[in-house]
Amino acid sequence: MQDELARKLSILADAAKYDASCASGNAGKRAAEKGGKGIGSLTGGTGICHSFTPDGRCISLLKILMTNYCIYDCQYCINRISSNVPRARFKEQEVIDLTLNFYRRNYIEGLFLSSGIIQSPDYTMSALIRIVKSLRQDHDFRGYIHLKTIPNASPALQEEAGWYADRLSINVELPTQQSLNVYAPEKNLCEITGTMNRLNEKISETLEERKNKLRFTPGGQSTQMIVGADSTSDKGILTTSVGLYSKYKLRRVYYSAFSPIPDASTILPARPAPLLREHRLYQADWLLRFYEFQLNDIVAGTKDDMLDLNLDPKLAWALRNRHLFPVDLNRAERHLLLKVPGLGVRSVDKIIQIRRYHQLSWFDLMKLRVTLDKVRPFVSVADYAPKSSLLEHVQLQDLLVKPRQLNLFQAV
Amino acid sequence: MYLVEINKIPGFQQWRDGARVCLQANLPPTEVLWRSPDNTVELSLFDSPATLQPSLQTADDIRVSPAFIRLAETAACHQDPERFALLYRILWRLIHENKQLLQFKTDDDILRLERIVHAVRRDAYKITAFLRFREIRDEQGPHFVAWYEPEHYTLEMVLPFFQTRFCNMRWAILTPYRAAHWDGNEISLADNPDPALYPAEDAVETYWLQYYSSIFNPARIKEKAMLTQMPKKYWKNLPEAHLIPNLLRDANGCVHKMVEQSQSGSK
Repeated sequence: MQDELARKLSILADAAKYDASCASGNAGKRAAEKGGKGIGSLTGGTGICHSFTPDGRCISLLKILMTNYCIYDCQYCINRISSNVPRARFKEQEVIDLTLNFYRRNYIEGLFLSSGIIQSPDYTMSALIRIVKSLRQDHDFRGYIHLKTIPNASPALQEEAGWYADRLSINVELPTQQSLNVYAPEKNLCEITGTMNRLNEKISETLEERKNKLRFTPGGQSTQMIVGADSTSDKGILTTSVGLYSKYKLRRVYYSAFSPIPDASTILPARPAPLLREHRLYQADWLLRFYEFQLNDIVAGTKDDMLDLNLDPKLAWALRNRHLFPVDLNRAERHLLLKVPGLGVRSVDKIIQIRRYHQLSWFDLMKLRVTLDKVRPFVSVADYAPKSSLLEHVQLQDLLVKPRQLNLFQAV
Repeated sequence: MYLVEINKIPGFQQWRDGARVCLQANLPPTEVLWRSPDNTVELSLFDSPATLQPSLQTADDIRVSPAFIRLAETAACHQDPERFALLYRILWRLIHENKQLLQFKTDDDILRLERIVHAVRRDAYKITAFLRFREIRDEQGPHFVAWYEPEHYTLEMVLPFFQTRFCNMRWAILTPYRAAHWDGNEISLADNPDPALYPAEDAVETYWLQYYSSIFNPARIKEKAMLTQMPKKYWKNLPEAHLIPNLLRDANGCVHKMVEQSQSGSK
């Protein structure tokens, strides 16, 4: 019996790992009441990473599928109906017990529950809701719950889920409808964004409202796109992201480099997409959200609308816009400081604090542990300005970037 | 030369009392020695230092920003033997040199303070992340016990977190310098607990190990990223960390197999 549970856990965790999200933060604060039956808290911060696996990802949540049986045939998905992977299905009580048992031992912040689609979207969504509802109501579980919304489930069910979950997500998977037509014929981008839109409206409507002490999806919505399974360019991917952030107020868009799965469909690329491409997309995403960059800053002038794998997108932008440099760190406004390659948000804020009291010097940059080689051509301070020849240097890029060796799996 | 004795680790309260007395006596930082269990100053080097008597006078005239007090309270938990001297020096400079000193992010003392505070906060955060309870049953029911080795004196800092999150569980956290016991109502502390009190096994742990092995994706090894967040110094007390070498060893084989299979079109 015990071995059966371990077997299910191994299959249904394995099937869940292609979802990159493991966020468990920014959903407000709450705590179980002393003397009650409840357990759990949200600290109000960014959530805790309880462990890290050799793929560099954190474990914050128990990330599992309720079942990996599925009636859909999405080509990139390990759980599609035409795949030969072993199948399993948790009993609802098993999910609840695993969550609570893991939580009590301080392994996790909560549960990230998703599922293959069995019988019908509504049937599946109802089963997921029963699990999280029981966690909240029967066990007064106050930890984090991320629930995957089942595409095509009825709006009423999706809304009900929002009262038990801290975060809801529905994966776009591929950035365009054309790609979905080829790889995920049952999925429809309009229906997905329609769900996001409805949930977003509900989130803003119910901002202050509480049901059984729970707020409606306080951690907001997120989604994921697979990178490199189809031929969409980085510009195409980022355009979709910008739309999702602005129209539906998504908290996060995750990018997942297509990686080979067991028993893969033959219409997929055989080799993984470079992890570096995924990394560049995350960097670009960060620039859009925290560094006051516009999409056009990032993609204008790129080759074939693809981000340069050899350069981080901020440096690439700076090299294309050398006329804006050097930036005077003692005078420039914050949005310009943010555009300097080698300066992160934290360094920028420290610089602004320091220069209120004294002129910033090169020595200050050293002490702030800024990467001096990187900022050297782009900044001036009280006792330093770059030679104009440095900024105009045609080989500036080579001076700043060490050649990188591609390994076998960073396919070009 | 004057000596302030701190004998209760982490020692913030004693430092605060000592600093107040020193300030009232107008003693510059170079005139004060701070002795603590982790800093047994070699007294023979100095002319027998005088011990200050706590003054009964109130210290209302000494005002310093709450931000500094919070930083000092955190910094006091660091294992750096010179932390108390550093804190007094900064306090002295805040009062006699510049009350904006904390804003001077590249001042050597402030840099060091910030690094110490950062290290303590990280250490405390890692307890909340990496501590693992094991369950035993005694006459009162389930009891959750953890053994953890923090780098600094951070046990006290994280108790509110565990009290809040696991308020309705009975638990104990054992560290090399102190243990905290929660009975559902209040915390009690005890020095130098016996590590043998940590249970050798837990029935749920095998599932956790199963989960850890299954959630990891062998097609995207990023060992360095893992090590940045979970350096080897933490591995000793993390049950899942013992799996890492094998997972890494087997990963490449796994991926080659998947790539070969899809290239040969075998389905």
